[in-house]
Amino acid sequence: MTATQAAPGGVLGQRLLRKEDPALLTGEAQFVADLNVPGALHAVIVRSPVAHARILSVDVSPAMSVPGVVAAFTGKDLEGEWAGPLPCAWPVTPDMKSPAHLPLATDKVCYAGDGVAVVLATSEYAARDGGDAVAVEYDPLPAVVDLDDARSDRVVIHDELGTNTSYVWELTPDQAAVDAAFADAAHTVHGHYVQQRLIPSAIEPRGVLVIPQPFNGEYTLYSATQIPHILKVMLALTVGVPETAIRVIAPAVGGGFGSKLNVYAEEALALALARKMRRPIRWIETRSEATQATIQGRGQIQDIELAADAEGRITAVRVKLLADMGAYLQLVTPGVPLLGAFLYSGVYDVPVYSFSCTSVFTNMTPTDAYRGAGRPEATYAIERVIEDLARAVGVDSAEIRRRNFIKAEQFPYSSAAGLVYDSGAYEQALDRALELSGMDGLRAEQARRRESGDRVQLGIGISSYMEMCGLAPSRVLASLNYTAGGWEAATVRLLPTGKVQVVTGTSPHGQGHETSWSMIVADRLGVGPEDVEVLHSDTAIAPYGLDTYGSRSLSVGGVAVAIATDRVIAKAKAIAAHQLEIAEEDLEFRDGAFTAKGTPERSMPLGAVAFEAFTAHNLPDGLEPNLEASSHFDPPNFTFPFGTHVCVVEVDTETGLVSLRSYTAVDDCGVQVNPLIVEGQVHGGITQGVAQALFEEAVYDEDGNPKTTTLMDYLVPAASELPSYVTDSTVTPSPTNLLGVKGIGEAGTIGSAPAVINAICDALAPLGIHDMAMPATPERVWRSISEARGEEAKGS
Amino acid sequence: MSYDCAVSVRVPDSLEELVTGLAADPGCELLAGGTDLMVEINFGRRRPASIMSLSRVTELKGWSEDAATGELVLGGALTYTEMLQPDLAGRLPALAQAARTVGSPQIRNAGTLGGNLATASPAGDTLPVLVALDAVVVVESADGRREVPVGDFVTGAKRTALRPHDVVHSVRVPTRRTRQEFLKVGTRNAMVIAVCSAAVVVDLDSCSVRVALGSVGPVPLRAHEAEELAGEVLDWDAGGVLAGDAHRDGALERFAGLVSAASRPIDDHRSTAAYRRHAVGVCARRALERVAA
Repeated sequence: MTATQAAPGGVLGQRLLRKEDPALLTGEAQFVADLNVPGALHAVIVRSPVAHARILSVDVSPAMSVPGVVAAFTGKDLEGEWAGPLPCAWPVTPDMKSPAHLPLATDKVCYAGDGVAVVLATSEYAARDGGDAVAVEYDPLPAVVDLDDARSDRVVIHDELGTNTSYVWELTPDQAAVDAAFADAAHTVHGHYVQQRLIPSAIEPRGVLVIPQPFNGEYTLYSATQIPHILKVMLALTVGVPETAIRVIAPAVGGGFGSKLNVYAEEALALALARKMRRPIRWIETRSEATQATIQGRGQIQDIELAADAEGRITAVRVKLLADMGAYLQLVTPGVPLLGAFLYSGVYDVPVYSFSCTSVFTNMTPTDAYRGAGRPEATYAIERVIEDLARAVGVDSAEIRRRNFIKAEQFPYSSAAGLVYDSGAYEQALDRALELSGMDGLRAEQARRRESGDRVQLGIGISSYMEMCGLAPSRVLASLNYTAGGWEAATVRLLPTGKVQVVTGTSPHGQGHETSWSMIVADRLGVGPEDVEVLHSDTAIAPYGLDTYGSRSLSVGGVAVAIATDRVIAKAKAIAAHQLEIAEEDLEFRDGAFTAKGTPERSMPLGAVAFEAFTAHNLPDGLEPNLEASSHFDPPNFTFPFGTHVCVVEVDTETGLVSLRSYTAVDDCGVQVNPLIVEGQVHGGITQGVAQALFEEAVYDEDGNPKTTTLMDYLVPAASELPSYVTDSTVTPSPTNLLGVKGIGEAGTIGSAPAVINAICDALAPLGIHDMAMPATPERVWRSISEARGEEAKGS
Repeated sequence: MSYDCAVSVRVPDSLEELVTGLAADPGCELLAGGTDLMVEINFGRRRPASIMSLSRVTELKGWSEDAATGELVLGGALTYTEMLQPDLAGRLPALAQAARTVGSPQIRNAGTLGGNLATASPAGDTLPVLVALDAVVVVESADGRREVPVGDFVTGAKRTALRPHDVVHSVRVPTRRTRQEFLKVGTRNAMVIAVCSAAVVVDLDSCSVRVALGSVGPVPLRAHEAEELAGEVLDWDAGGVLAGDAHRDGALERFAGLVSAASRPIDDHRSTAAYRRHAVGVCARRALERVAA
């Protein structure tokens, strides 16, 4: 397949404003919490205040005396409602250990936030007061919050498993070759990094509303979810309602970043309680509740080693990972480390590779996919440790990367870890980023500040990344034990008036699919994007789909839309040829009309063909009425976006405050459908990586109590913390799909955190500081500086 | 626990009606901007039976200049946004600096000076500024009016000299020739609680320097020894600027050290005491450099 470049004057590549925005900006769009249903009961979950305890008793009777409370149930009361546990769809190894996980705990709580009872009331206020009235007796147990402590099995969280280790997963194509490379290496470097837990913090917390039709046994479930299709199947299995009786709708959804790529206890509870009570059930998460009840990201401890020859060419990469699963396995919890497992060699031509991951349970909120899921962690490790290699070899950050880049002519490139990278031009992106960031002037300023002993030191950090996205070829998912495929579905219909209806299996929650899919279709059909309607996120309207996550929507779902569009054109062409009485091969489709080659006056616009297809008065023999076609596209490979980011920081050596002075990102996501949307994704992505580097951390104390349960304490950065980013792109089309596109939803996050930390280490290198834990808070930076100067942290 | 959710809300139209109402119901909560009280209520930490809103008490609003004394009189209901307006900000730049660091625009539109005083959080952003300005709190009640220096008004963490039937009427700030600065360290630029803060006022009339520290003790603290050192180091004949040799002989570093020594910080999840002690010295030293350079 060859990539299609945007035709000059075509719709692809234009910076169109998003169709979605007027409704979102004016408040017209309806989120779950906006849906008011008469007679709905409001649910409040009673959550464990302690991280690890046996439940001695749960008394819901005091709640029943609260005015407005209609019912209250303990975990034991509802045990009979479940046909299965909350699902984990990724048993990464055959012997992976997974504890039973019911929507409400019955005998034991395993993290602060674990649900033990549910109260239903006629108002949210009454439900909350009822929840406060439920009396629970706990017998506290020691909490496990440290990963090494977890691995020691000093305290075993899930008695029935006998261990806290969930699985050990290894990727070692040739261990002997790795060992030999280390034995022969001129240089070896080792990095030890902690990927702190992060709280996803979508602007809209979660929520669910289930409306039963008790007499025909059907349920409509609205959820703030990224995955209406997967949710429908999983809830059928967990709650025991036939799949045919569940319709799932994701209304306007305010962001997810992976946190809504899950099947949550509250969704199962709402469905089961709607069945039990025969009334609509509504649950809306509060912001503080989201800091405990919604999955968290990262939570890994990484050890990475590089072996290199005398010139600094990497000869082997060896990685050991310790991953924090949290208290239970959610939908894809165990798979997150695997999404990074193949990428610890980064953008470099590395001949041999070994990776192993040990995953453990702890008494904290379950982890799962969060923007980038495994890939930001991997990129961080390689992009940090290569700085140590540069120092060992005595070359600068750019040069060590140039020596090791996979060259443009090596693509498609087979990696030692077993992937085939589709396309890339890594050095070009580095060159462009260095040029845009004004590197020469920066180095001169840095030298001046070092010379004068300025309180504020300048640091420059580079990060060159690539990632695998566009989940995913179904056969590859099978080889990783993922229990679903990776295809995506689309249907394209021409309506009688010439308007176009697109049905997609993706489920946008901020990505702008209505705009982008309209542009893809408009570009191919020669209609305006405003003539295209995109239907999505409702299993009754779009029965097939695998939803939106892992930067998959465009390169899988968007490509399915393009294929279906082309099928519609092919059918239309047969009708046009029949009506124009001309052979199909003598017709060409251009600017929205079928025209005889060489005889432009013999032409039929697509709208006219659509009407003919609708009336079916004069169709070729054997051709069915209407113009509609579908595609179920299973990608042949992942796509591999890449780029280089350059971050410039000012470090106040007295207070430890790190300020971003400039940030330059050159990203390559192949062909761009709408550069405005690409830039928006890059901006948000960079910010989430900067957030990990400088601000955010889900903090637990030694007893497992969460300490960052409001946005006053969990530091999501705001606009005033960030500079205006300089963004640019190169375009290296992916040869794996007919649009030439790659994903861009996660790239910014994947590239940015190491650029920031590299910049801080660069600023402080004269003090001998070469590592900085995340988040690099002023206090942490100040302590490093004090230690490096041999000063006691004053007054401690 | 009672589930009787009834709350009486009164909206007095005058100061007199307010203090009379307070005398009759001294347990009543006063609601100004609500930026502290509503958080407490929303989290269920306080369930007041009665609330009185200050929104229509015009006597508490705005600010004026006392024609007799020349003092600035800041109303208890003066909002942070009003502190940022050029007229007032030009007269009290340190107060404007402190107001600028509070919350978001919405919070600054709602939150008031009287509320900051009455809450008396150790991290209250205006408190060190008012202390460094030698301000006096005017307290009103049915018993009459009394004046309390800010340093005496705040008696402990979230404790004040207010009696249950008192309201903060206004704050009187003496008019002197000053240069002033406020600096704060937070974990983020906006929507945060101060890790530490410092207000420095160079008083050209009395040839003295006042330094007050926030978030490093239960109440705003004066750094007296640091003030004395600064008073000696500044060249008053030249208009209260740093003498040329102040940098060379390490006076500024000693000033920072004395400020740190005057602090009494605690460890919490926002910062360790050690960092607060260090950073408050840096803040005060930089503030001094800015106003006396």
